Amino acid sequence: MINSILRFGLIFILLILLQVLLLNNIQFSGYVNPYVYIMFILLLPIEIPSWLLLLLSFATGLIIDFFSGSTGMHTSATVLAGFVRPYVLRIVSPKDGYESGSDPSMMIYGFRWFFFYALLMVLIHHTTLFYIEVFRFADFFRTMLRVLLSTMFSMTFILLIEFYRRGK
Amino acid sequence: MRNLLNFLVRYNSLIIFLFLEGIAFYLISTRNSYHNSRIVNSVRSTTRGVEEKINNTKSYLSLHEINERLAAENIALRNNISKLVKKESSLFFSVDDSTHRQQYLHTSAEVIENSINRQRNFFTINKGDSQGIKVDMAVISANSVAGVIIGCSKDYSVAMSLLNPDFKLSARIKSNGYFGSLSWNGRDYKYAILSEIPQHVLVNVGDTIETTGYSAIFPEGVIVGTVSDYEKFGGDFYKITVLLMTDFKKLHFVDVIGNMKKTEQLELEKLFK
Repeated sequence: MINSILRFGLIFILLILLQVLLLNNIQFSGYVNPYVYIMFILLLPIEIPSWLLLLLSFATGLIIDFFSGSTGMHTSATVLAGFVRPYVLRIVSPKDGYESGSDPSMMIYGFRWFFFYALLMVLIHHTTLFYIEVFRFADFFRTMLRVLLSTMFSMTFILLIEFYRRGK
Repeated sequence: MRNLLNFLVRYNSLIIFLFLEGIAFYLISTRNSYHNSRIVNSVRSTTRGVEEKINNTKSYLSLHEINERLAAENIALRNNISKLVKKESSLFFSVDDSTHRQQYLHTSAEVIENSINRQRNFFTINKGDSQGIKVDMAVISANSVAGVIIGCSKDYSVAMSLLNPDFKLSARIKSNGYFGSLSWNGRDYKYAILSEIPQHVLVNVGDTIETTGYSAIFPEGVIVGTVSDYEKFGGDFYKITVLLMTDFKKLHFVDVIGNMKKTEQLELEKLFK
């Protein structure tokens, strides 16, 4: 128990630092803003109680908001991601179900499973985030392009990190 | 009562979700309005230490380039001084007051936090109230428009970048003096849109766009950029795409300009409105 709190605390801090110190400073055209911190929500144990998942999502979003100078945007997108996670897990569930007490990682459930799980979650998070950011439907397709391009980059980072974790 | 409890237990995650989203949307609804910079400011004060560290690293990496730019600016300023000195002596001025004709007050500052990839971009500079920075002062970078101050704390100020659709700038075509309204459309950080220029005006690609000084924030004649493209928009006006002179990706040293005669101008204008 204590062990896993320490482990997730470490993952949390590392991901936030990666996001704030590195990725927030990559300003590559206006279309690509990778948000990798959402990976923290992806990696939490499968059987985590939903209230804890929501509170952790809220805290994550709030911290990222603080560092990006945007109030509320990341919070609302991340809380939504935390809320839909159980449903996403149900949709992508492997044939013989989830092992009890396991983490949703590539190591246990394989690349294909993790890819679709991460893709769905990142898409939901990025779509909410970017549409809340522009707050209008006037540039609907351009915003969609931003969502898709940023999702591609975020996914690349997330898969790289996950491969690294598996390799260890 | 038992039904209510059952309901709460059954939908507890939905209720927590709605509650947390409520807080998030409350935060969103109070952000970003032009005058409500208090929240931006207070939130940023908590993360400033980190931002300054990031900035220190960044500025170390680009020292060479910054030096070159400062040297170029120095030479330009020296040239201006020598011109002024000549003028002054030929007019036989003997007034000792060094500010008697001065309208604009310059303060140099360093950008410690900046963004270009959001829809509403702001940047933070390392001067504030105690250095005489006030809300609504203009921010320029090497004589081209960068933004306008929207909030100050003791030692820091937050400025709304030109890359923010809420920022409307009165700008004109230098060659013929026709003016319109310039703002960013949220797409490319290199371009902004100048509208309200009537179609009978002659526009050429490469024309210089500068500020008008009508708003009493920016001095007259600060360069905004050059015309890179124009098209007819609606029946009467051009939609002119302006290549911005300021490279917002490299924004580092800026000048904050205060208009010392602004209150005088605004009060006079108010009398006739």
